Amino acid sequence: MISRDDSPDISLEVVGPTAVITLRGQIDRSAVADLGSLLDQVVANGYSSMVLDLASLHSLADPGTSLIADAARRLADGGRQLSIRSPSTPVQRQLEADGLGGFIRDEEFESMTGKAVGDPLRPVGLSDTSQTILPPLPPAGASALPTDDDVIDAALRLVVELARATVGGADGVSASLLRHGRLTTVAASDQTVLDMDAQQYATGEGPCIDASTQGRRFHAPSLDVEHRWPEFTPRAEALGIRAILSSPLVAWGLPVGSLNIYSHQPAAFAPDDQRLAMKFATEASAILTDAGVTATDDLRSERFQASLRSRELIAQAQGVLMERDGLTEDAAFTELRVRSQQSGQTLRARAEEVTGSTRPSASGWGTAGVVDGSSTGEGDHRG
Amino acid sequence: MADEIPDQFDRFRRDAGLTRGELWLRYFELGGMSSAFQMEAFLYGALTPSRHDHDVLAHALNERFVELGGNHPVPYVEDVEPV
Repeated sequence: MISRDDSPDISLEVVGPTAVITLRGQIDRSAVADLGSLLDQVVANGYSSMVLDLASLHSLADPGTSLIADAARRLADGGRQLSIRSPSTPVQRQLEADGLGGFIRDEEFESMTGKAVGDPLRPVGLSDTSQTILPPLPPAGASALPTDDDVIDAALRLVVELARATVGGADGVSASLLRHGRLTTVAASDQTVLDMDAQQYATGEGPCIDASTQGRRFHAPSLDVEHRWPEFTPRAEALGIRAILSSPLVAWGLPVGSLNIYSHQPAAFAPDDQRLAMKFATEASAILTDAGVTATDDLRSERFQASLRSRELIAQAQGVLMERDGLTEDAAFTELRVRSQQSGQTLRARAEEVTGSTRPSASGWGTAGVVDGSSTGEGDHRG
Repeated sequence: MADEIPDQFDRFRRDAGLTRGELWLRYFELGGMSSAFQMEAFLYGALTPSRHDHDVLAHALNERFVELGGNHPVPYVEDVEPV
């Protein structure tokens, strides 16, 4: 369900404790690089087994098979398991040349296809490794066709695990989603994180709630000096948390949840870590959007009405500037755009100021859009 | 700008985690006048947007990046050509 746009021939699916990577068509050299990074992620991510489905693979460029062999070795080192399914004859020869022949299983993968679970995935060890450890059985539910919610939950669990493993300073990660009108933790890396989310739902405040409802990022670099959530913050500190980064999950342009990263250290998240967190949140948002989360007609229509209002407002502001400053229409837009960028406002917020529908800003450097008044002066701005 | 990497806008769109439909709505919201179909052609470099369209599209993407804690990574016309 996570398919990468840049390599549509490579997809990753998670079934219970198993990561299934499907390769299709011709995997050329650039796609092989994508495959390499995906294999790295799966290996790093602790799945108890990995399945490579090659049934629709026509060709695999170098060094594809060596990357697979390398992943197989690393999985085996951790007592984990690789199985390869249904390669074509030429691909099978390539695999055998790299010592991967022993990993090929051509029986049906019943647990993957929704048929009855016969026996679990039979492990096939590296020929030169004396010991293999059986992967745990897939949970009973894994044999049934997943519901949409199951698919979403599994995707978010993967995102949470990847974020936990790769974002520097992350001691715990969770994903919250609005379901049936309330926020629910869909995936969490540990109990403390679950408790942290629960405290926010209980107090009705916190970065997770704000990110989930406002659709923008909330970063509390140090809870010692945090004033935005007076009830929640002491509870978080009592659980040993010092820094929180909540990135919005958005489907169809509407906020539907958040990806929350917690740290025991203040100032734990370096700019690169923040960018990585944003990357995971956008990836998860794309999944949620594809899955049609919240994409109800009502919400779409509401969104469209809001777009019309925004458009009208911006046109009015352009009119004001054209009249007042003698600008052309395009120059008026540029004026609004540059000011909004300089002040960290949205263009819409800037337009509201120009048309006088919110508090006027005599200097022209208004702050109406800056609502993330963190004392640390970070750059989170959204009107 | 779009001349060098034809699908530059679409790469930014994917990085921003926006569907094409959602991006078009944001572009429209900022006063964009092109159809969703035309906008897709801008994304892939199949059509060259007017200077104004370029900036509206860039700003729609940049506002999304700001929401996600980023800055304004998508270049405006004035960033890539002397005015």
